[in-house]
This record gives sequence, structure tokens and C-alpha cells, in this order.
Amino acid sequence: MKQPRKHPMKSPVESPVESPVQRSMNCLQLATVLLGCAVLTACTTTYVPPVEPAPPVMAEPTPEPAPQPAPVVVNPAPQLPPPVATPTPEPVAPAATPTSTLLASVQSAVAAGDLDRGAALSERALRISPRDANLWYQLALIRYRQQRFSEAGDTARRALSMAGSDAVLQRQINTLLQQIGSGTP
Amino acid sequence: MAGMASPNSSTGRSAPHAPSPRSPRWHVPRFVWHLLLWSTLAFAGWCVWIDFEVRRDFEALQWALPARIYSRPVELYAGAHISQQHLVDYLQRLGYRRSAQVAGPGEYQQGEERVRLRTRGFQFWDGVEPPVYAELDFDGRHVHSLQGEGASELALLRLEPVEIEQVNPTTGEDRLPVALNEVPPELVNAVIAIEDQRFYTHHGIDPIGIARAMWANIRAGGIVQGGSTLTQQLIKNLYLDREQTLRRKAEEALMAIALELHFSKEEILTAYMNEIFLGQDGNRAIHGFALAAQHYFGRPLNELKVDELALLAGIGRGASYYNPLRYPDRAVERRNVVLTRMHERGDITDDTFTRGQKAKLQVREKTGSRSGYPAFMELVYDNLSRDYDSAALRTEGLRIFTTLDLTMQNSVEAKLDGAVKAVERANAKTPLETAVVITDANTGEVRALAGGRQRGYSGFNRALHAVRPIGSLVKPAVYLAALESPDYSLATVLSDREIGIPQPKGETWRPQNYDREVNGDVYLFDALERSLNLATVDLGLKVGVPTVVEALQRLGYNGDALPYPSLLLGAVDMTPVEVAQIYQTLASSGFRSPLRAVEAVTTATGEPLAYYGIETTQVADPAAVFLLEHAMQGVFERGTARGALNTLGDRMPLAGKTGTTNDLRDSWFAGYGNDLLGVVWLGHDDNTDTGLTGATGALRVWATLMKELDITPRQITQPAEIQWEQVPARPVADAGRRDCNEAMSLPFHNARLPSVDYTCEVNESFFDRVLDRFRSLGQ
Repeated sequence: MKQPRKHPMKSPVESPVESPVQRSMNCLQLATVLLGCAVLTACTTTYVPPVEPAPPVMAEPTPEPAPQPAPVVVNPAPQLPPPVATPTPEPVAPAATPTSTLLASVQSAVAAGDLDRGAALSERALRISPRDANLWYQLALIRYRQQRFSEAGDTARRALSMAGSDAVLQRQINTLLQQIGSGTP
Repeated sequence: MAGMASPNSSTGRSAPHAPSPRSPRWHVPRFVWHLLLWSTLAFAGWCVWIDFEVRRDFEALQWALPARIYSRPVELYAGAHISQQHLVDYLQRLGYRRSAQVAGPGEYQQGEERVRLRTRGFQFWDGVEPPVYAELDFDGRHVHSLQGEGASELALLRLEPVEIEQVNPTTGEDRLPVALNEVPPELVNAVIAIEDQRFYTHHGIDPIGIARAMWANIRAGGIVQGGSTLTQQLIKNLYLDREQTLRRKAEEALMAIALELHFSKEEILTAYMNEIFLGQDGNRAIHGFALAAQHYFGRPLNELKVDELALLAGIGRGASYYNPLRYPDRAVERRNVVLTRMHERGDITDDTFTRGQKAKLQVREKTGSRSGYPAFMELVYDNLSRDYDSAALRTEGLRIFTTLDLTMQNSVEAKLDGAVKAVERANAKTPLETAVVITDANTGEVRALAGGRQRGYSGFNRALHAVRPIGSLVKPAVYLAALESPDYSLATVLSDREIGIPQPKGETWRPQNYDREVNGDVYLFDALERSLNLATVDLGLKVGVPTVVEALQRLGYNGDALPYPSLLLGAVDMTPVEVAQIYQTLASSGFRSPLRAVEAVTTATGEPLAYYGIETTQVADPAAVFLLEHAMQGVFERGTARGALNTLGDRMPLAGKTGTTNDLRDSWFAGYGNDLLGVVWLGHDDNTDTGLTGATGALRVWATLMKELDITPRQITQPAEIQWEQVPARPVADAGRRDCNEAMSLPFHNARLPSVDYTCEVNESFFDRVLDRFRSLGQ
């Protein structure tokens, strides 16, 4: 069968011969992937900010929002129940979630060197759980390994924008962003 | 045979001119011998040519295969957003059979609370999804639990995608080629029983069969039986365009013999199974048994029962005459003839025979959506045209995986016409038209698309092609440009007062608010929530129109927008899809993802060719987008979209913006929750006035659709730079006159906190903040 006119899959930037330093860095990256997967930050604790009254506004002081940045609903409607009650019921058996199952597949694809498949699986997980900062971080790691630095950077920044109060994940993402900064030719 | 006769008959015709039989041999004229010799040579040459032709054509036999286009596959897991009814609808689209007990793949059982099913498995672009057994409980519109065989743990399950369209080859032929070992043996038996009982022993033509057929025809006084073999029928099908003359018949017979000489019975049978014409579906010709199984029964070949296989084998003789969708009685009669033959030959047991004859014909239900999704498909072809030409799509059997959410698309189509009717003026001269774009708010994948209000509408695709002024939908770009600069915050006081802007040609542009009122000093956030035109012009002119155009382009607008002040109020034309792109970036906190309708392309056998993954590019400061969203949520809570609270009150917070254009020609709404983004446009094709604003028209349609789609409330992460401050409820330009008896809390970028003179913060925190300022300066 003939191939289509063009092969639109973007191929990673041609990799020069790996220096030992680079190789050890890749090992470090792999370790980071595994660690990141293990941590699997479930940072979706929803903080509801003080309900502010609609204008005209009462003089009584509204409580200060928590100093810690946390995922919040910007501006909940005053008279409505807080949106913490997401319509998604909790899984009955939380042992294996769809994302943890997919992340395990991501790991084995990455370990087998099939980064394209790893990326596709991360994105499948993201379609299920699009605001999971860790999933964006995993995708950023794969893009970095594919030497698609610009995409890796944007994806990592998106992860950071969702990391909320997860200091460990924030540190990991910032480390990756530094590496991307130095990895870009 | 007839071909053989032709040289003889020419000798025969020459006989009267020849001398009597008693004459000596040498009296036969030379020219008769010449004629005989040349005829024989010509015949031999003809045979050689036919032999060559058949070999060449059969060896090169490679069908042009249509591209198959699939919907997004349904993912099932505890918490997945799908109701029991929607799941069952989807399974029926896949041709799953409802049964009392799930025995094989492609079957499901529906209890009151529980659905049990066994999937077929599928080769996706990212690997194989194996067939599995699963049980699901539901909790309203969500999956409550998912379990595997024997209540085992099953975290995630991906169903097969639904084939929504094919791109047919120019021949109009469609087929699903199968190897012989994928064909159920019962089908092979049925075909041989009804078409060619001596298939394995003859050499292409079957003299016994022909004699018997002739005898049967003579007795019946008409054509009741054909004597041609499977091989001859295959030839006939392969060269279908040839006219049926005696010479062609002879040629077919010779070709059949040649084919048998060079190819095995298995090769010939395989070709027959895939080539035979079995029906017509619009402009698409159904070839081969595998596709016929899908066409008539909606299920794959290996899931059919003996009676269904016998029916398919039977209709080969006259696909339109025995069409089971149209003439079920004829088809059943024919099926029973096949079953009888099979029974006589000992292919099936007495029991199978009796049950098969009694079996009720269960053809595919006419879904009615056979017309497909033309508006969405246009976007798919547009996406594909970047990488594939139409020849590749028509011949190579590509599998194209799209982002279309069938459940969502069907819900939109089911509700749209009624929702438009509900806002349409009773005395409208032309029908009110609409366009709808629904995307995944996080990834930019297009989930549903409507190019008009009628279901399955295939005319002018307004979602892609209706280029209209966007009115106030442009305002978020104005406010984002402001909030990104260090000079503005949500508490900036704008002037909502009459203004005259000199135009290049000498006249003066005098914008007005929609209600023709002026509001004096207003907060920036309030001006966006209430969509105040005068305050927006005040802000936009201070920020600079080119800066606004630049923001618009960063958000994803690719066209040229002239930097005139009227742009600030929406004098820029866009299609609904272009608007969706801009709001997509806002919904994703300033990360732009191109809208996509295609996710992946594989070969016919499932090898990945292309994967169009999630792209994301940061184009705006997430903190500025967070501030903007505060006001865009306010649009629902206090502003122009608060009318939607009746419908969507339990879905708040949501973010969005209304849009209305001059003389009420266009009514727009663009808005998003956590999961979905939707853009609705309403207007007349002749560009006349609709009598609707964004709030009285498009917003109401949007709310009806989003209620149906079960949009989820916004939950976004507050960036670390955000700090909340108290400001006076009533905006005053003069700080000395601020009234802190009534205060409210607003989010600020911590590098752009309002001047202490303007806030209502208490003193302790004031000193802290001064100290903080010094600290930050020192860094």
C-alpha cells in the first residue's frame, strides 16, 4: 500500500551522538518520570473562596482568602451551593484510577523507548483528567526527551499553572523548565 | 464454449460453396484451408491475450479502499460522564446486540441499573484495545462503577469508535477486505451450496452445471437457474462494465479457465468473497460479504448466525431483488432455499436447519443518521487537506480518527431547532439561522458542530463560513490587553461618558451604550460584565487599538483586523469557529491549542501514520487571564448573561460573553465551563435584523444546549501572583471621596496592587504591605 503524500508525524530533532553527560541526564529524566508517576499528585482539593455578596455590597468585612495559592473557584455565585460538590461521584474502588492505569502504560512505553506512544497515552489520560498538573508534567517530560524543547516548555508552564499548592510538583516542573532552558540549542 | 463454436460455424457457413462430400479431398478450395488456419491462429492468439490479461489483472488486484472516518471512542471508567441511555445508544450505533445473557463479543445486556457487555476490541493508533467483559452501574449521568469478569477490578475501558463516514473511491465501490480464514466456514459452505456445488472439482467452467441449468430452464420455459461457476461470476464482477454479448460470455469462460490454471481455489474464493456485489447504498456500492454484514445487520461477519450468513450467500444472485432491507419476504425465502441446499449437502444439522428456517429476520435498524454529520465532516476534510490529497483518501483505506463526540453531536442536533424556534420572532420573513461550535475547553478538540438549525443539514456551513461582525465578543481581548499591562486592574476606574472620536474623513464617531444611558465612573470589571460600550472605548483608546489587535491575534485570530477605534466594539468579522479559537485560549488560562477535528490517521491495518496531539502554547499571562475570568464569570452572576441563571443556576460558576451587532443583525454567545466551551451564533442569511441581542437570543440557545450537555462548573487554579483586596463598592475617580462603608473583595496581581489610597484595607495590613513593597524592591 502506498504511503500518503506526506508523513505528518513530526519527528524529533535529529539527536547527535549522546555524550555521557547527556546520557546520565536522560537516566535522571527517566528517574524523574518514574518518581513523578509514583507521586501522582492528586492536587484537586478545591478551595472555595469567600463568597462575596453581589453589589450593593455590605460593609461587613469578608474573610481574607487563604494566603496559600490553591485551586479556587474565582467567583462563585453568591446564592448557589459551593461548587466543591462536583457532579462526578467518587470511584467506588479508588485503588486503580483511569489515570494511574494510563500512567503505568506511559511508563512502560517510555521505558521501551516508544516516546510517541507514551505521549499519545499521556494525552489520552489528559482527555479524561485535563486539569491534572502531573499529567501535563509527564507530557512535558516526554516532549523534553523527544527534544521538542519548545513544546516541552509550553507544556511544563501549563503544568505549573495548574500545580496549585503542590510544592513538590512545582519544584519538579521548575527543574524541568531550567533543563529545557539549557537544553534548547 | 460459444467462442469455440465460432471457427466451426465459419467453416459451416462456407460449406454450401464447397463441393459435395463425395468430391475428392483436393477439391476443397485453398481459401477454406487458409480461413481455417487463420481462424485457429487468431483464436490461439486471443486465448494467449486473455490468459495474459487475466493473470495481469488478478495479480494486480488491489481494491481501491475508502478512507473510514471514526467518531471519538467512548471511554468508560468510574466517574465517566455518560448516562446508561447514552451508553446503550452508542452500543446500538456499534451494532451491539441486546441479549438476555452476554455470550460473545458485540453483545450487551441491559438491566434496570446495570449494563453488562463484551467488547470487540479495536486496533487504535496508540495500540490494541483488547476485547473485554465489563459490568457498569450508573448514577444519573455518570458511571458509578466499572468491573471486569467476576467482579474483578477494571479501571478503564475504551469502546470501539463508530464509523461515521467513508470517503468512497471514484468507482463508488466500498468493501471491507477479509482473508479467507476470517470468513466463517458456514458462509463458505453456504456460498458453495447455492452457487457452485462442484467448485472444488471443476476447472473454471462446469459443463454438468450448465447442462442441468439449461434443462431446468427449458422445463420452466425461462431463466430459473444459472450454470456459471464462482470463478465465472468473479470474472463477471471484476469486468462488470463489459456488455453481455455472446462473445463476452465466451471470453468470460476462457478467462475463468485461465484463472483456474494460474491461481488456487483459495485465492479465487477469497477474491470472490470480497468482490461480489451485494447491494447499493445511495451512491455507494456494497461489495464483499464483510461489508454486507455491516450494511444489512450492523455487525461484523464473525458475529452472524448461520441463517444470517445463508441470507448473505443467497442475495449474491440478485442483490437488489433480494434486498433484505426492502423485500424481507423475498430475502427470507431465498435464505431458506440456501439453508435447504446446505441441509441436503449435510453442511448443517437438522436442528440448525429447522431453527434457521424459523429465525426472524433482524436487519439493521434504519438509524436515520445515515446522512452523517456533514458540517463536522467539512472541518475534518479541511484538517486532513493539509497532509493528505483526495486520492489518498479515496484509495488507501486510511482510518481517520476524529474528535467528534457522537452523544454530544446528537444531543445538539436534537435540541437545536427547538431552541432556535423558542427565541425566533413569530413574524420573521426568513427563518432564523444558527451555527454552533462545541469544543473541549482544555484541549481544543471539536466535540460537536452545527452549520444550521436542521439536523444533518448539509448546505451552507455557517460554523465555518458565515463571516460576521462579532460585536461585544471582542471585548475580552480589550480587557485582557489592559490587565496584562502594569497600569490596569479590575478596580481601575473607567469613564462611561459620551465621547466623540474624529474619523479620518472628517466625521465624528459617537458610540453609545446599548441602553443609550451613561454610567459615569465605573470599575473595569463592571464595564465588561455589563458590556458598557463607552467605558470599553475609553479603556481601549488608552491601551491602544494596535495593542488590542495584537492581543486578539495572540489569542488565535489569524485574519487582519484594521486598528480603527470601532474594532473595540466588535467591528471585526469572524466565523463561529474563529471565535471558538479565541475563547479556547481564554478557557485554557492563556494557553492556545489549535482547534482540531482529527486526532490520528492509521493505515487500513492500523499502523499509525499521523498523530495530531495536544498542542499548547502560552500566549498570555495566566494571572491576567485569571483576572479577566473574574469579570467573565461576573457576566453570568451580575452582567449581561445573568438571564441564564434560570437554566444553569446549578452549574455556576461559568464564564462567557454576549455579543450583539448593529441593528440586531447578529446575536452571539461564547462561554465555557470546566469541560466544555460553546459558541452560538444566530442571524439571518440575508443579514436582516433578528430582533435579538446576544442575551435574548444566542445566550438562551447556549444555555439550553449546555444544560443538555451537562456542562460542569469552572474550577481553576488561582495563580500564585493573585492577591485579594478590599475596594469600595462604589467607584470614585477621586480617592479622597471613597466610601469604605460598602466594600468588596477583588483579585489583583500582586505586582499591580491598587494604590493604598483607593483600597479599603485596614491599617495593619497596610504597613505589612508597605514593608512587602520594600522587600520586593530590594530583590
